[in-house]
Amino acid sequence: MRIVIAEDSTILRQGLVELLTFRGHEVLAAVKDADALRDAITAHTPDVSIVDIRMPPTHTDEGLRAAIALRRELPGCAILLFSQYVETKYAAQLLADRAGGVGYLLKDRVAEVSDFLDALRRVSEGETVLDPEVVSQLFSATRQTDALGALTPREREVLGLMAEGRSNSAIAAELFLSAGSVEKYVTSIFGKLGLPPSEGDNRRVLAVLRYLDS
Amino acid sequence: MGSGPRPGETEHVTSLDLPRPPLLRRVFGPLAARDFRAEYLWLWLAAPLTLFSLLSFLVVLALGLWLTPVLLGFLVLAGAVFYARGLGAAHRGLAKGLLGVSVPTPRRPELKPGLWSWVKARVGDPAGWRAAGYLLLRLPLTLAGLFTVFVATLYSLAATPYSFLWFPLGERRLPVFAIDADSWAGALAWSASGLLVLVALPRVTHAFVALDRLLIVGLLGERELTERVRDLEASRATAVEDAALRLRRIERDLHDGAQAQLVALAMKLGLAKDELADADLPQVKDLVTAAHTNAKQALTELRDLARGIHPAALDAGLDVALATLVATSGIDARVAVDLPRRPPPSLETIVYFSAAELLTNAAKHGGTTLVVVTEERDVLWLRVRDSGRGGARIVPGGGLAGVAERLRTVDGELTVTSPPGGPTEVTARVPLPR
Repeated sequence: MRIVIAEDSTILRQGLVELLTFRGHEVLAAVKDADALRDAITAHTPDVSIVDIRMPPTHTDEGLRAAIALRRELPGCAILLFSQYVETKYAAQLLADRAGGVGYLLKDRVAEVSDFLDALRRVSEGETVLDPEVVSQLFSATRQTDALGALTPREREVLGLMAEGRSNSAIAAELFLSAGSVEKYVTSIFGKLGLPPSEGDNRRVLAVLRYLDS
Repeated sequence: MGSGPRPGETEHVTSLDLPRPPLLRRVFGPLAARDFRAEYLWLWLAAPLTLFSLLSFLVVLALGLWLTPVLLGFLVLAGAVFYARGLGAAHRGLAKGLLGVSVPTPRRPELKPGLWSWVKARVGDPAGWRAAGYLLLRLPLTLAGLFTVFVATLYSLAATPYSFLWFPLGERRLPVFAIDADSWAGALAWSASGLLVLVALPRVTHAFVALDRLLIVGLLGERELTERVRDLEASRATAVEDAALRLRRIERDLHDGAQAQLVALAMKLGLAKDELADADLPQVKDLVTAAHTNAKQALTELRDLARGIHPAALDAGLDVALATLVATSGIDARVAVDLPRRPPPSLETIVYFSAAELLTNAAKHGGTTLVVVTEERDVLWLRVRDSGRGGARIVPGGGLAGVAERLRTVDGELTVTSPPGGPTEVTARVPLPR
């Protein structure tokens, strides 16, 4: 993959460059702030960018705002947001354009190198990847809402894994189910959430968004 | 006086055991002391200062009052009070220089932009009026003091040497105080009285100045209780704000420092673990795997610690922070935040941690919890309501008492309504700055 990194912590930036290069990826640019990120993405058109949420000058949510602006400007520009904390509101803002090719991960996830690289690849391929912690936050936050009330515990589990960006076969492996029964659960979830079948794969993202919106 | 201790006095000897000064120095010493010279000078210097001050102030004041039908009068009036404040400062400065009476400068009245606001603030400046009161009270005191000291000085200067002057003086009398004696013994009596007055002079001076000190401390220095309270409020607000800022900085340092280092470490260990997967080094593999697990554990703990110091979500506002809190805590709760503006960071932090504690409490009661944050007329209300079994109250050392204490640092209050059987409603009231 051809990758751009925006991370203000030098040690993490260098660590990511080392890691990605070691695993045979090409780091086109490693920058420190949102302005440099915009320049790098415009100049190199990477497959995916890794963006820290907290960057100078205010160290609050520069990365998030830059990501939203960039995706509006350059549709299809894949971004994996990287954060020390996860907040559902950030995830909701990020997913609001419903275009896919976006991820939101806790920085800790980089410790599991293979999982991290897998998530990065999925984002570059246009999928949506959410950190398991975001997903669990969403579930506890919406536990009482009516939309969720309709789902069975198993369906919630499946939806949770969908929100993490897993494919049906990966969900089947995780839950020790057959691919066929996962398919059944997914269809049932779409039905209960009122998502018409015509929207195809994008329904997976929409299903997750139902929870973000509620 | 004997210089050694008398038999019955030995046990009174202090550890300092200062030698007693000779009688002569004890009687006449005060005359040569610096304190006396300063106080004496004070009486002489401050009297004309006060007289001039009071008269000039009264003139300006009268002018201002006379002009009040015209708006200009108020301006002059404000000027007069401002001037009185300055006169107070002059007296305070002189008193500090000569008497060592150090009194804090009264607070400046709060000045808002605009001429009329300036006039209002200045005319209503309590420090100016108290300075005027000081001048008014001090004038008779200073005149009496000056007159007494002047007479005493003159008398002692004339009478003390009279017994020596008695011989050369032809008429045996002095032109002042009708000092007159037929015999040298009589002249000696005059001298003795002069000496007595001279010895008494420092004490008399000191007595007058002591009264003066009381006036200075009472009127030029001691601020009204309300001003003092306002001062303390301001300094406490600064302290609270400072603490919040510092916690935020600690959290940021953790984020930029230790957390980043640990993430990099965990990442490298993860990479090492992956690379070792195919190698035949079981012990090394175990070690790296354990180190990797430890690093991840440390990251989680550090994250929780940082969140406890200052939740990063607070940067985005109370609504985001409380929603995140509820989501991560797994407590069954709904949050509604409706604030027209963001409170200062320190108040946000206090409200956040109060809400966190109240939520934990409510979770123990069971049932759904409702958290509502609103602002009404410069007051922030945090209401946490649960449908549990009730019976909650503030006990010393308990969680609710901790919240009440936390709120008190910003003049907040906590009230608990929790009848047996529920529902429980805990309300925190936090005044907001205007």
